[in-house]
Amino acid sequence: MIAITDTSFLIDWVKYTKRDLIFKLFELIYIPESVFNEVRSETTLLWIAEGLENNKMAIFPEISELRNEALRLVLETRRLPIRSVDFPEAYCVVVGKVQNYVVLTENGGALALVNYYDEYKEVKVMRALEVLIELYKRGFIQEIKGEVKDYSRQTNHLFSNRDLRKYGLI
Amino acid sequence: MEEWIERFEEARELRRKYADWNFIKSQPVRLRIALDYYIETGDLYNASRLAGMTMEEFNELRIKARIPSI
Amino acid sequence: MKIDEKALEEWIERFEEARELRRKYADWNFIKSQPERIKIALEYYVETGDYRGAAQMAEMAVDEFVNIAKEKAKIPTVD
Repeated sequence: MIAITDTSFLIDWVKYTKRDLIFKLFELIYIPESVFNEVRSETTLLWIAEGLENNKMAIFPEISELRNEALRLVLETRRLPIRSVDFPEAYCVVVGKVQNYVVLTENGGALALVNYYDEYKEVKVMRALEVLIELYKRGFIQEIKGEVKDYSRQTNHLFSNRDLRKYGLI
Repeated sequence: MEEWIERFEEARELRRKYADWNFIKSQPVRLRIALDYYIETGDLYNASRLAGMTMEEFNELRIKARIPSI
Repeated sequence: MKIDEKALEEWIERFEEARELRRKYADWNFIKSQPERIKIALEYYVETGDYRGAAQMAEMAVDEFVNIAKEKAKIPTVD
């Protein structure tokens, strides 16, 4: 599988001690230029540099047609009474749709968009929770409940009870 | 293919050998990481992205860091 | 734009739950002790979850801001 990641996923996942397990799921993870430009912390940049060096990560360029569609989503979502989507996330979702890549995000606006907007319902989105569950299903994680707690503790990312229940984790 | 791998490794050794490590270590985090990355890979495009610079700007930095372009 | 109204409603609820969690876990003493610009950015972030807007208010990179929000202000990412 190939994925494209936005800032929200990257900056949490990089804090996870087993972060490199993600390359067991994805042969390549793209980082859009707009996401790349937002990242400045040493930890994140070092991990990206390592990923680039090992050919596990690559920069996804800005393509004007995709860019225009992302800008359209940014505008359309601002007309709704719900958290809108910003350009970097919108771009990831558009790329996910056009290229059939998995979109890695924790961004509520992007997650909501692929749920309520019919045209984007086929886009596959994974948050850290779905990535951990998939790693567990493939045998790279031994015990899922403990791992989810560890992830949460290491990254200070809280998973909603609604989602944990949905996956039988509480 | 093997010949190219050898060339790549030789190039990396040369970049490591000639780099001004004092200059590199004195740089802000982002630039330091980008210069390290460039030394290891010779990849100007991604190094410039890491540094948040244009390729031309990063190339100027590379020269200041005395890293040869091979 | 064809919209699934039920899904939209569910997500509105989720965002409200996420905001409650950020409000609950935030270290308000830390937030109130910050310089005005950072305080406003952190408060805005608690209320909206909009890390990008908050980072711009604080004049920081997104990841720098989120790290401070998590580590110092104890505001978890929730979405």
